[in-house]
Order: sequence, then structure tokens, then C-alpha cells
Amino acid sequence: MEEMIVKKRGFAFYLSIYKKILIQDLKSKMSYRADFIISTFGMIMTNLSGFVTFMILFHNFPSINGWDYHHMLFLYGFSLIALTPVQCFFDNNWNLRFMVRSGDFIKYCFRPINVFFYFISEVFDVKGIGQFVFGIATFVYAWAHIGIPVTVLTIAQAVVFLITASLFMIALMNFSAATCFWIINSGYVMVIMFRFKDFAKYPASIFNSIFRFIFTFIIPIAFIAYYPSLVFVTPDDVPLISWLSPFIGVVFFWLSYKFWMYGVRKYDFTGS
Amino acid sequence: MKSLRRLTALTKAGVVESLQFRLGTFVTLFANLIYLALVYFLWKAIYASSGTDVVNGMTFYDTMIYLILATAIFNFLEMFIVWDMSRAIQSGEIIMHLLKPMRYRKYMFWSYSGSLVMSFILTFIPTFLVVVIVTKGAVPVGWNLLAFVLSLLLALVINYNIEMLVAPICLYTESTWGINIVKETIVLLLSGASIPLAFFPETFRKIVEFLPFRAVYDIPLTVLLKKNGTDSFDGLINAIVIQLIWCVVLTICGNLFWNHAVKKITVNGG
Amino acid sequence: MTNEAVVMKNVSKTFKVLNRHEGLKGSIKDLFSRDYNTVEAVSDVSLTVSKGEIIGYLGPNGAGKSTTIKMMTGVLEPTTGEIMVNGLVPFKDRTRNSENIGVVFGQRSQLWWNLPLVESFKLLRDIYLVPQKDYEEMLELYDSLVDLEPILHKPVRQMSLGQRTLSDILAAFLHNPGIVFLDEPTIGLDVSMKAKIRELILGLNKVKNTTVILTTHDMGDVDALCKRIVIIDKGRKIYDNDIDHLKSYFGSYRTLRMRLGDDSWIEQVIDEKTTDVMNVIQETQKKHKIKDIELQEISTEEVIRKIYEGGEA
Repeated sequence: MEEMIVKKRGFAFYLSIYKKILIQDLKSKMSYRADFIISTFGMIMTNLSGFVTFMILFHNFPSINGWDYHHMLFLYGFSLIALTPVQCFFDNNWNLRFMVRSGDFIKYCFRPINVFFYFISEVFDVKGIGQFVFGIATFVYAWAHIGIPVTVLTIAQAVVFLITASLFMIALMNFSAATCFWIINSGYVMVIMFRFKDFAKYPASIFNSIFRFIFTFIIPIAFIAYYPSLVFVTPDDVPLISWLSPFIGVVFFWLSYKFWMYGVRKYDFTGS
Repeated sequence: MKSLRRLTALTKAGVVESLQFRLGTFVTLFANLIYLALVYFLWKAIYASSGTDVVNGMTFYDTMIYLILATAIFNFLEMFIVWDMSRAIQSGEIIMHLLKPMRYRKYMFWSYSGSLVMSFILTFIPTFLVVVIVTKGAVPVGWNLLAFVLSLLLALVINYNIEMLVAPICLYTESTWGINIVKETIVLLLSGASIPLAFFPETFRKIVEFLPFRAVYDIPLTVLLKKNGTDSFDGLINAIVIQLIWCVVLTICGNLFWNHAVKKITVNGG
Repeated sequence: MTNEAVVMKNVSKTFKVLNRHEGLKGSIKDLFSRDYNTVEAVSDVSLTVSKGEIIGYLGPNGAGKSTTIKMMTGVLEPTTGEIMVNGLVPFKDRTRNSENIGVVFGQRSQLWWNLPLVESFKLLRDIYLVPQKDYEEMLELYDSLVDLEPILHKPVRQMSLGQRTLSDILAAFLHNPGIVFLDEPTIGLDVSMKAKIRELILGLNKVKNTTVILTTHDMGDVDALCKRIVIIDKGRKIYDNDIDHLKSYFGSYRTLRMRLGDDSWIEQVIDEKTTDVMNVIQETQKKHKIKDIELQEISTEEVIRKIYEGGEA
């Protein structure tokens, strides 16, 4: 009998597996060209409609709470980019409750790889790319008009803050999707979270202290755009919480992952 | 008489079903309240920044009432016909529906009526009462309420017909998500559900006037608030007639499209 | 290394089932409720499976078969007792345990729905870190056992149920695991596909010396594949021995078949210890005309049914 070898699967392993699944997935999606085109069109329509709403608002009201047109645009673009990863990479969370309820979820538990990774890797949502392009365009336009200097530091900051900001929405989605391990028909939790995220594009300063508290500490959507944006928009007066937001993002994401995995371990897997 | 009993049976089944998800209803209701609070803060900040009390003929209270009730109508009217139909098509269940004695379009309408009645009682009426009480007289109370209910009923039929006009597209393509999202964004933007039509730039508004979507949200709400000329009898009749025309036009289009689409099922064998 | 693939010692699994309440107040209460009923799905089961064995793990619906398999695969934790699979504790070491097991769960495909089978295979090769040489050898072996050509480049979603099951079984053996769990692999398949699948399982077991733990309701599977069967009922193990022993235990039973005047057959299971076959025939003859008589050994199916009905063997 051979020695039991403990096979190591590190970051590089997962990256290469993800890449392979992604390529295969894209190939098979190409065979549904009509669906691809209609979905992409739909995604562009959603973004366009959001943008039109935004423009109509500013057509009537030149500034909101001291935030002028270009500053609001910056916030808007920032939120669009930060909301892209959740759309592209974590969309399978929407299917979680159906899989768990039907018993199909168990198949993710038989492979020698991380269950969360395996589950999430199964769906890559191409449509998010449209949103990403839209967001980048808005972001760059606003960046230029506000006159934020283009230095290595500001660009590095933008990358770090955008990535960590995206972790907040991913974490919110993980948390709300994982409720299905305990609550039957918990779909409404996700729907509610996704409705709240619409407010990520507004400055949190418009809310009163109770809601600011909620959006900072309970449903932290203020971290998706508002707090990190302050680093760029008001560089002379950045609150501590903005600087801390990358760390909070990482911790929050990690907690959501743990919660998700805890749900898997505690679930009964009856129904088969 | 017999068919009426069948229809009410469907309604009753819908009521019972939506009662079973009461925890969800409760949480959703709570979340809606928070959501409304957010809308309130947003527009308060917007009006505070504008420096004037009246923008495009809308005061802050008008805008709030308009948007809150638009959300309430949205929750009330929300149907998942596109999803239901695509699922029925993919599972082949649609054939079973076509074999039933009741026409499919009619069947769908009445099986939704139960949850419509429930959400009208559970979410719309409470929201409406809260708005009337909180805004202390900003909502005109009189014969316009009656006109509003009538207009809302027509809006329901129009909304249902828009859904039924879009849903059969699922017979031609598998792209349910795409179709649904396109429909939803167009309806929400052009009906005035996300931002009152009064705020739209002049030319844009002119175009929207000729589309059916405003008959779902904007017309019932302007009737209620007595805006846009509906405080006069002629203006009111005008608004209702526009809704009626859209009802007829969309029903005819929907029927024609559905009959054409059904042939596709029989040709493909499901 | 030991010669045991699976060792279970006094394993029990209890589930807490929430007493659900009606209405809104009830459903809020349920969220925080501690009002549970405990249900014992598996109780005090001990079992040893040797390497290379094919055992039939049988029992009526809800007997606890799936729960046992879920514990052996590391998805569920036993409430009490010990399980060792390939020398590992499955729930504690789920990832390492899954390196060396393969699972097929009836009608639920574990393959990537939209991918051609060969792409699923390649992904599995990478996930299990199977060396290219071993992978190619395995594909050659598959090719010698089944006709791969019609399925290899077909997306799973376009396959028939039989092709899908076949693919799932091939995928489960791909990384050459020590144990493969097959949960009702032939459910819903036609006769020829069943035969094909049984042949495949037998072939793989022979060549690779893979331990197979099979649950099924189809006694054809049992007859074709298993030397030993384990039966559980209401969570308890009620039988664990050779299939031949089982038959010899019920060896005094015969199935008597009689063709009547109108060419219809009637059947009766007779215990020869208590009933005389000739008596039954004579009794029947008083009422009907008998054209033909057959006396058969009892089938596995009937033995199992007797055990389910009678409790102990």
C-alpha cells in the first residue's frame, strides 16, 4: 500500500482551476449567443437607466448636500466598479437556496477542494463586464473633472480601495445567501440587501445619525463607495474610518466566508 | 356562475399561499419601511440643497407621497409572469396549462389575483394610511380617491398586459433574465416609478407621454395628487381614457402575440 | 496498512427536528426556538468493509442508508461512535478523505452541466491532481469497458439519463479512489443500460480493486454485484452476511407457481418446514384446474422483502 500523500492545494492551484472553469464556461456560453446578447443588452439598459435617473436628478437639482455634479458622478462610478465583482464572480449565491432545498448542494461536499470556492466558481456572470466598463468610464471622467492628481500613489490607492470596497457587497451577499441554511425561503433577505445597495451611490452624510450608524456598522453599504471615496474627494479631511475601510472590508469578508462555511457544516443535508 | 366559482377558488388559493410566507412578509414589510426612510432622507437632502420649495410644480411632500406610493404600487403590482412562464416552458409544464379548460392568459391573471388582493390589503392600504396621516392633509381626500382606485385597477390590467406581452418571448429564446431585466428597467424608468415624470426634461417627457408605461404609475398618482390637470373633470376623464385605450391596445396585441407564440409550442412539441 | 476500507464502530446519528409553529408569531418563535424532537436516523451501527469488496447496503426508504453514506463521505458528523475511512476520520478530514473516495448520488449529476464530458474529466484530473499518465491509462481502461465515443464530447445537459449515470460513475472512478459510494446508480434506467452499468462497476472493481458500497432498491444490482449485503431498518443493522447465507437461511422457502386452466399463473411463497408443498397443490386442485407447476428457489427480492417485513433474520 502506498504512503498517504497529503496533496497541497495553494493559491496558485485555485487560481489555475478557476481559470480553467472560466474558460470552459465562456466557451459553452458562446453557444447561447442570443442569450448572451440579450443579457448584455439588459445589463447595459439597467446601467443606462440608472444613469438617466442620475442625470434627471441633476437636471433639476445642481447639488446634493454639498456634493456637486462631478463629485456625485465620482461616487456613482466608484460604486459601479465596486459592485462589479459581486455580479461577476459571486452570482451563484442566488442559486444557493434552491440547491440547498433540493438537496443538490451536497455534490459540492465530495471534492477535495474548498466548498465555497467550488460552489462560487461554477458561475461566472459575463454581464457584469458591461457594468464595469460603464463604471470605469464614469469614474475616469469624474476623476479628471474634479482634478484629482494622477500619481502612482493615487492610482494605487484607487485600486486598493476599489477592491476592498467590493468585498463589502460580496460579504453582504454571502451573509444573506447563507441564511438559507437556517431559514426556509430566505430569498427575501437577499432581495432586501440588493435593494439597499442602491443607496451605496449616495453620500452617507444625507442620512440621520441612526441610519448612518446602520449603514456603517450593521448593513455597511456606506463602505461600498462613500467612505473610500472621501480619500479622493476630500483628501485634506479624510475621516479615520475611510483609512480603515480596507481592513474592515477584509475582516468583514472573512467573517461572511466563515459564516457561510459554518452553515455548510451545520446543515443536516436531509431531503435526499 | 360555475366559472366565477373557479376563479374565486384560484384567488383563495393565492391568499392562503401568501399567508404561509408570513415571516418573509413581515421582514419585507419592515425592510420597506427602512427603504422608505432612505427615500425620505435622500429627497430631503435634495430639496434642502435646491433652495426652493417647489420644483417643477412638485413640493417636497408631493414628491415624497408620489415616490412612496409608487413603491407601494410597485410592491402591489409585482408579478413574476415572465419567470413563471419561462419555468413552465422549460419544464414542459406549459403543455398542461394549455390543456386546461381555462385560457392560459385568463388562468394566469386569476391565479395572481389572490396574492394581489393580499398585498393590496397587507402593504398598500397600510402604507397609504400612514402616508395620509403623516403628511397631514398633503393628500387631497375626496372624489379623487375613487378615481384613484379606478385608475389603479386599470393600471393593474395594463401592467398585467405588459407582462403577458413580454413573457411569450421566452418561447423564442432562453434568455429569461435578459428579457425580464430589460422589461423591468424600461417600465420603472419610463413609468415614473423611480423618479416622478414631472422632473423629466421637456422633450424626454413629450416622448414618454406617448408610451403606455406612464399609465401604470404616473397616471394613478397624478390623479390621486390632482396634478397635471386631473383636478378638473375634463382632465380626469382624459387621463382615464388614455388608460382605457392602452388597456384595449395592449390586450389585443398580447392576444395576437400569444396566439402566434403558442403555435411555436405546438410546432416544437414543447 | 490495514486491510479495511471502512470501519464503523457503534455509530449513531440523531437529527434535531424543529417543532414548527403556525403563523407569523410561530415562525418568529421557530427562529429562536429550542423546541426540538430528536430523530435517530442511524443507531448503533457497526460495520467493517474490506478492501476490494462490493457490499450491498440495503434497507427500505428512510432506513438511514443515505445518512450512513453522508457520514462516511464526511458531509455529516456522527453523533456518537467512530468512523474510519481509509484510515481517516471523514468529518474531521473531509478534504483528505475526499481525495480517496468517489461518490455517485443517483439522479444528481455532479458533473459540470454545460461542459462536454471530456472537459469535466480534465477538470477533475486537475482538481484531484491526477498525473497525466494515470489519467490517460484510466481513459484507456474506460474505453475498453464502455463505448466512450458517443458521450465523450457531449455536454452533460444533452445526455440521456443512462449516459449521465454512466458518465457520473466514470467520473467517480477517475482519480482511482480506494472506495466508491454508489447511491441507487441504476434508478430509472432501462434494462440494457442497467446491465451495462453493472458490468462497468464489476469491471472497475476487478481491475482497480476498488471497494464499492452500493445502496439500491434493485435486487438485480445486488444479484449481479454483491457477495455480501448489509441491511438496515429504522437505523439499526438487521443483517450483515453473505448473500448465499441469506438464501440458505431462507432455504426452506420455495416459490410455488401454478398455471391454472385459464393460463394465468398464481404464486405462493411456502416455508417447507411448516407447510407441505403437496398439500398446497392438492388444496388448489380442489378449486382450480392446474395445467403446470413450477417450484423455484426464493429470489433475493423476496428474501429481502421477508426481512423488511419480519424484522430479524
